[in-house]
Amino acid sequence: MNMNKKGVTILELLISISLIGVVILMLLKVMFSLDSINNDQSYASNDEIDRTSIIKEIEQDFLENKLRGIDIKKEKDNTLITFKYDNKEEILSIYIDRLEYKSVSYKLESSNATYDLDINYTYDDLNPYYLITLNIPVLIKGENTTLNDDITLTYLNLKNAQDSY
Amino acid sequence: MKRGFALLETIVVITFVAVSLLLLYGTFRGMVTRSKDNILYDNASDIYKAFYLKEYLELDKLNINGDINFYDCKDSNNTYCSFILDKFEVNKIYITKYDLKDYDKSLYSSFFNNYVGSLSNKGDYKYRLIVEFNRENTYSYASLGMRDEHE
Repeated sequence: MNMNKKGVTILELLISISLIGVVILMLLKVMFSLDSINNDQSYASNDEIDRTSIIKEIEQDFLENKLRGIDIKKEKDNTLITFKYDNKEEILSIYIDRLEYKSVSYKLESSNATYDLDINYTYDDLNPYYLITLNIPVLIKGENTTLNDDITLTYLNLKNAQDSY
Repeated sequence: MKRGFALLETIVVITFVAVSLLLLYGTFRGMVTRSKDNILYDNASDIYKAFYLKEYLELDKLNINGDINFYDCKDSNNTYCSFILDKFEVNKIYITKYDLKDYDKSLYSSFFNNYVGSLSNKGDYKYRLIVEFNRENTYSYASLGMRDEHE
């Protein structure tokens, strides 16, 4: 009886385990690299539809109704932005987990994501034009990791004596 | 009689598994890149920025020659041109033929070529305004169709 042909020898077993170990290590490395690529972008893509909807809704109001003024008020649990148009006013309410505009609520899908109640607002006088930019940062675990998931609103128009910013 | 796995069999199986994993990685990598591109291409706020640039710099009233043109603030009469491009984090403004197909890709960045490759040519426009943004050292793009204002 030839003992060498009875089954797995200890050497074969060791080599097999080492090879499997190498393959598993490669797989883990690949998975971690994919995870890091996808991490910030996945938060941005989860909320892409809501982000697009609210930006479109507000920007269309800016263009169709002529924005005449902005009033920003920070409260304990929310920040209220009042957009003043020629004949009406609309309020954008920012809560940590959602935005509300014209009775529609836009809730953040990702559990780690929150809206920053400290928004960035700038007014630039580009005589005879003016430029308004409003940025509502989206924080992932408390940090603004990418600007791609922020809600950024822009308005550029000719100056008007009645406007208040 | 031979029992159990031989070393050669184990190596063949592991090679097969490794090749399968590599193929799987290629597929996943493609999916992740496409999902990443979705965020970087035609973001709603970037489209509105492109619209305001078109209106403010009157880009649809320019004389356009050739397939791809760059817009430079030096050619602009607008005092705040550079300021507004900085504010919008704009890297470059391209004005191209709407149905841009055959052009020398080696003259442009791979980011630009990939974006142009993803665009549809179904609209009834003559030109396309393509705005390249540079945010956090990442290029993102937005475009608008433009009709010829001279016609």
